Amino acid sequence: MSADMVVTVVGSALLILGAAIIASAAIGLLKLPDVYTRTSAIGTAAGLGVSLMIVGVVVLDFNTLNLIKGIFAIIAQLLTSAIGSFVLARASYMSGSEPVATTVPDELADQADQASAR
Amino acid sequence: MIPDIVVAVTLGLLALSIVFAVVRAWRGPTPGNSAVAGDLIFFAFIGAVAVIGVWLSMEAVMDIILIAALLGFLSVLSLARLIQGSKR
Repeated sequence: MSADMVVTVVGSALLILGAAIIASAAIGLLKLPDVYTRTSAIGTAAGLGVSLMIVGVVVLDFNTLNLIKGIFAIIAQLLTSAIGSFVLARASYMSGSEPVATTVPDELADQADQASAR
Repeated sequence: MIPDIVVAVTLGLLALSIVFAVVRAWRGPTPGNSAVAGDLIFFAFIGAVAVIGVWLSMEAVMDIILIAALLGFLSVLSLARLIQGSKR
């Protein structure tokens, strides 16, 4: 197997794996019971999926500039997907959507009460 | 460069996830659900841009992905602000 073929197979596998992880996040978006579990599914799975697809693009189209851009894009993607899902879940809580009944620790309850009292 | 079957499978999976997200945004029931669905649609769009860029061997594909990963954050923040209303 030549080196060119190895590059094609590895890059294609990374692209398909990333797309499959994004699709699994979409299935979770339909199946999970409340907005917080859905936000968790999207924030973790879609961040990982997009990162894997970026690695696949860098492998398939390799040069030094693409490598640097890819590293920066993955760092930005992981940071912003985590922070974005946290902010979305907090905004949902503050606007008063109910979590499922089995959610046990509810540490934001005091802050939500204060916010609605103001 | 990249086999056509890989492009077909990847774009099919991403299209399926966009359809699921649109269904969730339609059903709701709260605005938070629609915002999360929009977030997933954005991620799937980045993936589709990456695949199509490699398929057509575009030069600028990494630039597009980098800018999208940096700026997608702002849309999520403004959606969260919109959901939350005037409450902090």
